[in-house]
Amino acid sequence: MFSKVLIANRGEIAVRINRACHDLGVRTVAIYSQADKDSMHVREADEAYCVGPGPVPRSYLDIANIVSTALASGCQAVHPGYGFLAENARFAEICSDHGLAFVGPKPSVIAAMGDKATAKRIMKEAGVATTPGSDILESAQKARDAAKRIGYPVLLKATAGGGGKGMRVVERSEDLERAFASATAEAEASFKDGRVYMEKLLLQPRHVEVQVLGDDFGTVLHMGERDCSMQKPSHQKLVEEAPAPNLSAKLRSALHDTAVRACRSVGYTNAGTLEFLVSGDHAYFMEMNTRIQVEHPVTEMVYGVDLVKEQIRIASGERLGYAQKDLQPRGHAIECRINAEDARNGFAPEAGTLSRVVFPDGPGIRVDTHVYAGSVVPPYYDSLLAKIVAHGETRDAAIARMESALRETEIAGVHTTVDVCLEILATPEFRQGRYDVGVLPKLDSRAAAVRQARG
Amino acid sequence: MSGPEDIPARVRRLAEFLVANDLQSVRIERDNERFEVGRVVAQGVAALPASEAKPAASVRVDQIAADRVGIFRFARPAPFVGEVLDGDRELGYVEQLGIRNPIRSRGGGRIASILQGDGDLVDYGRPLFELERV
Repeated sequence: MFSKVLIANRGEIAVRINRACHDLGVRTVAIYSQADKDSMHVREADEAYCVGPGPVPRSYLDIANIVSTALASGCQAVHPGYGFLAENARFAEICSDHGLAFVGPKPSVIAAMGDKATAKRIMKEAGVATTPGSDILESAQKARDAAKRIGYPVLLKATAGGGGKGMRVVERSEDLERAFASATAEAEASFKDGRVYMEKLLLQPRHVEVQVLGDDFGTVLHMGERDCSMQKPSHQKLVEEAPAPNLSAKLRSALHDTAVRACRSVGYTNAGTLEFLVSGDHAYFMEMNTRIQVEHPVTEMVYGVDLVKEQIRIASGERLGYAQKDLQPRGHAIECRINAEDARNGFAPEAGTLSRVVFPDGPGIRVDTHVYAGSVVPPYYDSLLAKIVAHGETRDAAIARMESALRETEIAGVHTTVDVCLEILATPEFRQGRYDVGVLPKLDSRAAAVRQARG
Repeated sequence: MSGPEDIPARVRRLAEFLVANDLQSVRIERDNERFEVGRVVAQGVAALPASEAKPAASVRVDQIAADRVGIFRFARPAPFVGEVLDGDRELGYVEQLGIRNPIRSRGGGRIASILQGDGDLVDYGRPLFELERV
């Protein structure tokens, strides 16, 4: 096992990784931007170094400063978390060139699977169904040609992307040029890689993803699936659950088997997630995320594993040490993302100082966060403040726990998504476990119609 | 101030008046003539004429900070506290992944303090030197 690990991230995931390291007896080095100097991840780490000013390209994406910090502080490994450099193959390669273990798959696998257009091609070759789409689009003209072939509506997606960044729905050809330009610019700003590709937009599919874990000795296991269909109009997930409700046993096991088979075929190691679009009884591979996901806690609650600890153990060369039959899911877990956003204003992100922060507690409740009363939410970063996770023996029990947990939550100083999460939980679609990606975008207009009907 | 008088002499007299009365500026407007003499407060020097102005009394202390993360090394010969630098000089460097990122004094001054040691890990914005500028 490593003696010291650098955490190349901020926010709740940096705090989460810090805990996993300390659980394993590993010392931690935090990095931070000047805007984050008072952040919780800085306080909790054994050492912390400033790597630049607030804007992301000059701090959390400054590879030279981050690798130099790891080396000069005596780390043996770097955990990238999610976002930022987590799926940057060059970063992983630079780490390994300098003798640092990168907590994630091999750089070549990140390059192949993290690059979403290439990943789709590889999956197709491995016999996995994929949605109709294009390769990387070099120009707006290439995008027009691809859209004509695939048929509108289409989705432009950043090949280096995740979290809905660099993603645009295009319904008509006249909107394509502008969408291509803005998706490219957003992808470049978010990932330092502006390349985009196109996919057929399936109307109202479900988003179901499978968690996998592989070690260096050929063991690949799955930890079931998560349903992440409750997405904002920007395609960012807001509420996730495990297992996915109302999935036929046949489709569920097909997804698990496909995920494991795909990972074996590319020599996948460490934690990863294969995302599928499910439409009726059909599942199409969408993309693979070669990192820990934001919503990993719902899987942890159901399977009783610590995925981040497993990631670090695998990166240090340990064997998983258990088999698929040892992994038995128990109960149901739901996660609500509490973001600094105004749900009534198109989920516009907000910055500010949190004057009051109260999180829920009690049996079956877990809160992953980095904020506290008085903490500052800088304008530069993702708006995620906390993840509230509720576990119950049944789905209904988990929903009931989550509702009371959200009511216990108080955050003042910025608008948050607490209320909209409560609204989501109250919809008949969510109650019945019959929802798709179209439900949340319609929620606001529906609420407005209800208000109007009540006069 | 009647009669012809050469302009430098008039400016000099105004500057003397300014300093003697501890004023920031003096302006005289007459007919189509206009004279204004002032001092630049930050540097404590009367604007004109420079040769006759009283020397500055205030000293500005500048911090020289690291802008890259890495191992800090002093330049050779090593700078020392009290050393007066005539102009811009390399005081040290931050070694990062085999690249030396120079730390320069950005002009002359006196080294008031040295805040990091040779071989220290320095992060972004870490103060390395304090320089007194005259």
